[in-house]
Amino acid sequence: MNINPVLLKELKVRMRGWKAAGIIAAYLLILSLVALFIMYNAFMNPYSSTIDPQVSIGAYTGLAIIQFILIMFIVPALTAGAISGEREKQTLDLVLCTRLRPISIITGKLFASTSQTLLLIIASLPLFSMVFMFGGISIKEILQLFGFYIVTAVAVGCIGIFYSACLRRTTAATVLTYGTVAFLAFGTIFIGVFYVDILYKANYKDFLPIFYANPIVGFSSLLAGQFGYYRGGMGILPGLFLSGNTAKSIDPWLGNVIFDIVFSAVLLVLSAIRINPVRRGIFSFFTLRKRAKKA
Amino acid sequence: MLSIKGLNKKYGRFQAVSDLNLEIAEGEIFGFVGPNGAGKTTTMKIMCGLLKATSGEISLDGVDVIKHSKEIKEKIGYMPDFFGVYDDLKVSEYLEFYASIYNIKGPDRKKITDDLLELVDLSGKRETYVDSLSRGMKQRLCLARSLVHNPRLLVLDEPASGMDPRARIEMKEILRNLKDMGKTIIISSHILPELSELCTGIGIIDKGRMVASGSVDEIMQRVYSKKVIKLKVRDRLDDAVLILKEYPFIEKLVSDDNNIKASFDGGDEEMSRVLSALVNGGIPVVSFAQLNGNLEDVFMKVTKGDDRQ
Repeated sequence: MNINPVLLKELKVRMRGWKAAGIIAAYLLILSLVALFIMYNAFMNPYSSTIDPQVSIGAYTGLAIIQFILIMFIVPALTAGAISGEREKQTLDLVLCTRLRPISIITGKLFASTSQTLLLIIASLPLFSMVFMFGGISIKEILQLFGFYIVTAVAVGCIGIFYSACLRRTTAATVLTYGTVAFLAFGTIFIGVFYVDILYKANYKDFLPIFYANPIVGFSSLLAGQFGYYRGGMGILPGLFLSGNTAKSIDPWLGNVIFDIVFSAVLLVLSAIRINPVRRGIFSFFTLRKRAKKA
Repeated sequence: MLSIKGLNKKYGRFQAVSDLNLEIAEGEIFGFVGPNGAGKTTTMKIMCGLLKATSGEISLDGVDVIKHSKEIKEKIGYMPDFFGVYDDLKVSEYLEFYASIYNIKGPDRKKITDDLLELVDLSGKRETYVDSLSRGMKQRLCLARSLVHNPRLLVLDEPASGMDPRARIEMKEILRNLKDMGKTIIISSHILPELSELCTGIGIIDKGRMVASGSVDEIMQRVYSKKVIKLKVRDRLDDAVLILKEYPFIEKLVSDDNNIKASFDGGDEEMSRVLSALVNGGIPVVSFAQLNGNLEDVFMKVTKGDDRQ
């Protein structure tokens, strides 16, 4: 099997030295502290002599949320320098003048940073398995959650790679990546709320499609579904529900996963076009046809 | 082997390369000479598929470089003038990374890496981290990198820039080896005298235009249509000048100390007549020779200095 050479090299370089181990240690430390805090509160409750089955749900939710936030913060930092960093180090031309296709360079970079995130996610599994002690959460739910993490991490990674391919400076790419993630998480809610408020007042009964792009909505929907909270569609705001509220609409988490996959694919292709030095312009297809007609 | 026809490259309004034509034959070492900003790097980048030409054609063995860039990239090795290296990568790993891009695997990869490190004299640095190498070593490593896939054409942009004299000589030695291996090499440099020894042909580019191209001798002759003779006498300088001035083919004369430089419009026979006249006139001639113009003078004459902004 041929492994993408860029991926192989990136993994070698990224895992070398103390940096990678340091990131994992810091990451697990934060998660462990959160888990400890939740446990401490549950067991040291002076008013209760039994273990509340809600503890496992609370611990699971707490860890899941913290892990989700950490991914949103770490992935942009890992990806926004992927291409612009090569440009700054003047190594991009050296790879571009080889037979490697631009899309291979982009996917190699993406998978390398995603693998690093994947490593963090997998390293956190033992912490998550703690909730099995109390019951209430099954392996299926954990796998579903981790699958959602990976799709989200890849989508955020693609945003980072895209800005990194478009901009010369890593700093600018990092800022724009965080900005775009913030827009998806919060901006879409503002836009949706204003849109519904101005055009429909409170009479909007469907799920507003823009919320499918929102990772927080998708994540909340996934957790709510896992706990069986779906009754009544869980309307939060006009146009925003945590489950498919009508027969036609799909669950928001599934909508979010589909959006993430399509969005990632588009960004990857655009990034590959961007770094190809002899790319044809977007409109060259049409000019070529015009020329052919004239001839 | 390589043919460039009517190449143009514009950056906005700035014309970096204009109507450049060039033919390079197999096995040739072609020196690309020109002041900074003349369009050398731009032309070289277009050759390697790293930049899109505004118009014009470049073909390698009759295959269009732009349309078939993937096949062409297998045949060209490129070394840019500025380049970086990855931190946290060892010398051998660096070469193995590029070898893996060209699908070179297993024992072949190790053999090629070893051979190339030997060629550029870095065998002792296999396990050293690339970013701790000296500049000259990095340049040699980059040259080795451009050879990983055994390309037929090497495009080297200022391979000796920023090197100390010793490193330059070493680089020249490596290039000579590559020439013996039958590689076609296009090399740009501002170190002209060194190029003139190495190259079979040169092209002088200025403000995006090819102002002169051909073999080193041809260009010398074209620029120096008149020869210059230089002679040194022990004394009686004035008498020597008087004798020289009698000949119509001696045009300009400059003398200082005991040296005389004269521009001379004639062949070997006229030269020997002048020398015997001087000796017969009892002038103590110490040396008498035709001055070889060097490439640097040619360059200054053809490009009329680097006065751009």
